[in-house]
This record gives sequence, structure tokens and C-alpha cells, in this order.
Amino acid sequence: MALRAAGAGLRVWRAALGSGGSLLPSLRGFTAQAEPVEEEVIEKKGIQLRGAPMYLDMQATTPLDPRVIDAMLPFMTEQYGNPHSRTHLYGWEAEEAVEVARGQVAGVIGADAKEIIFTSGATESNNLAIKGVAGFFRDKKKHLITTQTDHKCVLDSCRYLQQRGFDVTYLPVQKNGLVDLGQLADAIRPDTSLVSVMAVNNEIGVVQPLADIGKLCREKKVFFHTDAAQAVGKIPIDVNAMNIDLLSISGHKLYGPKGIGAIYIRRRPRVRLEAQMSGGGQERGLRSGTVPHFLAVGLGAACDIAAQEMQRDQAHIKRLSERLYKGITSQLQGVVLNGDPEARYWGNINLSFAYVEGESLLMGLKDVAVSSGSACTSASLEPSYVLRALGVEEDMAHTSIRFGIGRFTTEAEVDRAVELTVQHVNKLREMSPLWEMVQEGIDLSKIEWAQH
Amino acid sequence: MASPAEARALFREFLRLSRHFGTSYNIKEYVRRRAREGFREAAAVTDTAELAKLWEAAQQQLAVVRRQSVVYDLYSRRHKHAMELLPKERA
Repeated sequence: MALRAAGAGLRVWRAALGSGGSLLPSLRGFTAQAEPVEEEVIEKKGIQLRGAPMYLDMQATTPLDPRVIDAMLPFMTEQYGNPHSRTHLYGWEAEEAVEVARGQVAGVIGADAKEIIFTSGATESNNLAIKGVAGFFRDKKKHLITTQTDHKCVLDSCRYLQQRGFDVTYLPVQKNGLVDLGQLADAIRPDTSLVSVMAVNNEIGVVQPLADIGKLCREKKVFFHTDAAQAVGKIPIDVNAMNIDLLSISGHKLYGPKGIGAIYIRRRPRVRLEAQMSGGGQERGLRSGTVPHFLAVGLGAACDIAAQEMQRDQAHIKRLSERLYKGITSQLQGVVLNGDPEARYWGNINLSFAYVEGESLLMGLKDVAVSSGSACTSASLEPSYVLRALGVEEDMAHTSIRFGIGRFTTEAEVDRAVELTVQHVNKLREMSPLWEMVQEGIDLSKIEWAQH
Repeated sequence: MASPAEARALFREFLRLSRHFGTSYNIKEYVRRRAREGFREAAAVTDTAELAKLWEAAQQQLAVVRRQSVVYDLYSRRHKHAMELLPKERA
């Protein structure tokens, strides 16, 4: 190793001093980290991995698109100004870049640039939308509506408001994960200020009927907020056609950077809300704090690329997810797709494997980076609250695995993931006494288990 | 206007650069797939103004790929990707 490193160093010297040709090839020998080593075993957390696992967890986060990094780098090096500085070039060029990005974010959801506020991510956007609207109308309107399958940060913001005297309705969802519009209409009261329904569910990938909900809310004169972190750039969204009043965006779910997001706030008719952050009054006073311009540029570039690539991405993702689903279900019995089979974003396939313990399967699939549900709750052994809201039986909710497919997933990875999943499920079932009983034709639901 | 030979050379340049990108298996594969798709789509275009625009866009994308292949090479992982360790006939 040491010899090789020395050799690489020498080559860099020689190229830089002598040849006079392009410096690029010589840079390749001059890496910040060590070159890939020959032995390929990675040891982390007590397990051994052969090579970096394939990444099929696109709902947790997505890799940065190299085109996004390319757009960001100039603002991480030379153009480091504060976008709010008004007296010199550094500020002007940073502000210009932020405004271009604002337009790109607006473009992907059919909004106007003036309606976009940069935040730190979708969690902050959701907090701002829910607490902000509820706070502004607190004198006249005391009621909010959300769904049981919404994201933790939406539910938690609602809990916070409940402790402060607000009334919140947590709508149940149907077995397929979708909101019942009749139930929603019944839940809206004269003192309802806001309805918040997630666009694409992070755990099961179902797409809520946004246009129908938007129409209903507009008729009843209630503001409609949607957490679209998993939806923007992946499915077509038009805030005007869908009558959306507030919409949350996350950077790192659409191949952009972490630490940046945005919220769309409608201007006509105007949505008033209370800022949650006090300070210098940036972002029209709604979100004080210096806008991290290189992150904003990254989010803008990611939105722009997503808009251009949407059709290609959708076709690629649909093809691969069908391949994954057919590959697994054609070789295994007792596999259930959670959530509606039609109204879904295909990059998210949440499957339950009967008679298999989910954690054991996840441990077995160490060469595949997947999770049992959301990353936020993946530390606990509790089954997902989303699956429970769907009425999924406890045992099936415990065995769910979420396969996330994205722009950079390859067909070979999907084939390998199918192979490994089938192999491990079969192995675990061979060890399972329950599976043996099912094979013998015993109906497990009819058994009366003795109490100990 | 670019000749067919120039177009083929540009395509080959995308494929050549796609091999860099450090240990990022997925990015390498994407650059290859996206270049293939882009050139296939462009082959169906007959309008000269549209073709000129596509040619310009491809040049810009090539510049991005050239810069980023260096960045990814500089910061590559110490270990290869599992898919690149599979036996060749399967990968």
C-alpha cells in the first residue's frame, strides 16, 4: 500500500512538473482518500460486508445528482457571499443565484417564484404551515384536520397545538391507505382553519387524491396544506390545478442536498401565517436566518433536473419496480403489497412477508440497504403506525420491507435484490414452525394458543 | 451541424468518462444509460434547429460529466460497490 501511494505521488509530481499536458489525469492519482483496496471486506457495527451494499432506500434519502453538485460547487468555493448583502459583488451574485433557484423550485410545482420560501427542510416547512396558519387564525378558528398516516412532524405539530387548546381531527384511512373524501367533508367544521394531507406516503407510497381534496377544501373555504416531500419532482404536481394553498418540499428526497427545503405559500387568495423564527426578517419575514445559498442552488438545480427528467425517471422506475414485484411474487407465496396497487408512486414498494420475522430478514439482507419503514422509526421494534392505520395485522406489520427505487437504481441491482430476498425468505421460513404448519394445511387463525 | 461521426465520437466520450466516477457504481451506470437514451432520442429528431439545441445541451452535459468524474474520483470510497464485485457474467 505504502509503495503504491508513493508511486502515485511520484506520478503526480512528474505530470505536474514535466509533461505540460492536461492536469486532469494526474489529479486522479491525487485522491483525498485512499484508493480502493484489494480486499473488499467492510467491517461496521459488528457485521462484515463484501463491498458497499446496493442502495434501495430512496425514501430515507436519495444520492445527490452529479449535476446538482456541479451547480453547487461554484458557491462553495469562490462565490461565497451572503445573499442578503446589498453593498458588494459577493452579495449580489449570491442573491442572483438564490433567485434563479427560487424560480426553478416554483417551476416544478407550477407556482410563482414569489410564493416560495426557503427553509431547512420539509420538517420545518410542515411546522411552519401547521403552527403558522393555526397561530394566525387562533382567535376565530380552533380546528385542524390531518390523517393518521401523515408524517411524524405533522402529527407532532398537531399534538403541540392540541396542548395549546386547539382541536385536531386525525382522519382514519381506508384499507388501501387512501383518505375517504366523504369522511373528510364530514370532518370539516365552520371553525376549521387547515387540512393537511400528505401527497405521497413515505412508508407505503400511496398517492392521495390531491385534486379532489383541494377542490373540497376550496369549496369549504379551508386552507389545504400538503406534505409533498416524497412527491415533488417524482409525480406531476400543479398547485393551481390541484387547489393547493401550502406545500412542503424537501431537498434530499429529489436528489438534492440535505439541510434545505422550501414551502410554497399561495398569494392569491393570500394565505396568512405566523412566522416561527424571529430574526433578520429574511424570506419576506416568514423565515429569518441567512439563506444557505449553495444549498438553495442545489435544491433549485434538483427541481429543474427533476422537471426535465420526470418522464424518463417515471418510465425507468415503473419498469424496475414491476420487475421487482413480479420477481418476488412469482417465486414466493404469502407476499402482500401494502397500500393501493394503483394510486401509488412506483418508487416505493412496501411488501409484507408472511411467517417471516422482519428484523431477521433485514439482518439477512445486509447486502441490500433497505428498511422496514421510515428511517425516523427504524430504531424501534414497534410495527409502523402507518401500517397499523391501514388495519394491517400485527404479524404482517412486523414483516414489512420497503424497497425504494430511484433514478440511479439499475436493473442488475433489482435482479440481485430479488434473488437475495427470495433466498433469505425461504431460509427463514424453513426454520419457522408456523410456516411448516401452514404447509400442512393448518389454519393458524383457528388455533387456540395456550396461555403461559 | 454535427456529422454522424462527430455524434458517435461525442457518445463514446460519455461512455469513456462514465468509467471514472470513483466507486459510484450507480452514477457510472446512470451516465451510460442516460447518454444512450439521449442519443437514441436525438436520432429520431429531424428538425435542424432542434438538433442544434440538442447538440449544445449535450456539450454542456459532457462538461458536467468531465468535471464531476474528477470530483467523484477524488472522493471515492475505499471499497468497491457490491455490484462491481459480482462475477462478471452476472453483473
